[in-house]
Amino acid sequence: MIEVKDIEKKFGRKKILKGVSFTANKGEITCLIGINGVGKTTILKAIMALTPFHKGQILIDGKPIDKHSFEKITFIPDSLTMLPHMTIAEAMEFMKDFYTCWNQKRANELLGFFRLDPSNRISSLSKGNTAKVNLLLGLALDVDYVLMDEPFSGIDLFSREEIANVFTSHLIENRGVIITTHEIGDIEHLLDKVVLLDDGMVTKEFSAEEARENEGKSVIDVMREVYQK
Amino acid sequence: MKNYLKLVNFEFNRIAKLFTVLLGITFVAQMIGVIVQSRNYLNMANEKIYKEMLPQAQFLENFGQMSFLQITRSIWFFGPIALCIAGVAFYIFFIWYRDWIGKNTFIYRLLMLPTSRLNIFYAKITTILIMTFGFVAIQLIIIPIEMLVMKAMVPNEFRLDMGVMEVLTIMPELTLIYPRSIMQFFFNYGLGLLAVSVLFTGILFERSFKWKGILAGLLYSAIAVVVLILPLLLHEFVLNSYFYPIELFVLEIVMGLIVFAASIWVSGFLLKKKVTV
Repeated sequence: MIEVKDIEKKFGRKKILKGVSFTANKGEITCLIGINGVGKTTILKAIMALTPFHKGQILIDGKPIDKHSFEKITFIPDSLTMLPHMTIAEAMEFMKDFYTCWNQKRANELLGFFRLDPSNRISSLSKGNTAKVNLLLGLALDVDYVLMDEPFSGIDLFSREEIANVFTSHLIENRGVIITTHEIGDIEHLLDKVVLLDDGMVTKEFSAEEARENEGKSVIDVMREVYQK
Repeated sequence: MKNYLKLVNFEFNRIAKLFTVLLGITFVAQMIGVIVQSRNYLNMANEKIYKEMLPQAQFLENFGQMSFLQITRSIWFFGPIALCIAGVAFYIFFIWYRDWIGKNTFIYRLLMLPTSRLNIFYAKITTILIMTFGFVAIQLIIIPIEMLVMKAMVPNEFRLDMGVMEVLTIMPELTLIYPRSIMQFFFNYGLGLLAVSVLFTGILFERSFKWKGILAGLLYSAIAVVVLILPLLLHEFVLNSYFYPIELFVLEIVMGLIVFAASIWVSGFLLKKKVTV
């Protein structure tokens, strides 16, 4: 389980996160929702120790993050984290070199799934294909947790559909996923848990299924209630 | 250790092109220098001996024989060396900032590798060292080739042959790069390594705290310099030349090691706890 406990973060004098707490379980898709600048990406970065926070604690399976955690958890940011002059094959080779949890079989499967040509240079890829390579490099790691920052941002409809298909496939099964997105429509039916953020705080944390079954509300309905109050 | 070596290999491959280009420029420019200087000398000799009818012995007495030093003192020889030094100096900063700039921010990947983040620091500083020693070593190989070209161009009687070591010893500017003793070698390059480690720490302060980080980096660098020269300051201004030269030397080495260790520790702390992407 990923436990985010009461984290606070300031940029200069401005408080971006004001005591954010939530949990994300293995085998579930947790979605962080909030308007731009609310701190969604910062939370993901804080989980991966890519930005410091001033107060609070983040635990992954009960332990603070360390170098070994990166074989257990991965972060797929909204931009590609590989050198532009590399080919997709070279980027995969790099990952294989450094991560013992790299699963080449799954990487090849993802290449086929996304119909990517491994000899293509990263700098020559379209935005949609860049997002797919980004996903490939993250999902081909045999990790327990995957954090995704806006995987649908600015890409075409067909690429969005292909990426959304990943969530229903065995590529995600049994993993804990934390995702931030604006395009809630594409994956609303797949979400297990939703964390609504506003003004640097968690305004509501709820199970999507319970909201559907008990209250007959979709995630968007709940969002309307919270944000349009 | 394995990950460190992989990172060094990776980092070096990233500068291989720049490194090769600088080496190419050095070789070509210095070779042009050899040809230009030799021809200038020969043209002057022809002018004086065949047109002005100056006897050869008189010419040699007046103008001297041509030695390799005339080439090493020209811009053709020093220019590319200065360019390589500037290249290394530039790359000390660029080796970090290139990972942050652009839309493909590679620093994400580096910081998420399942290895100690200090290995990134070690790999980058090792790359700077390899680059420096690479230039120095290849320059040593190029000089004898240049001497051969000069020998082929300038007739024996007009030439003063010198060995590589002789040239390096005579030129005070070159003794910085090619120290005369092993102690001097460790002193020069140790000081260089120390300076790079302090600069790296300064860069990481900036990457961690932005504008405040620049101040912190400058302050850290100033403290590092003060700590390093503290024995010299005490010796000179407080203790009335108390230390023997050898004691002072040992103290300087100890202070250097302290500053180096502090730079590694602070950089490790910043990379682990404070750096932000």
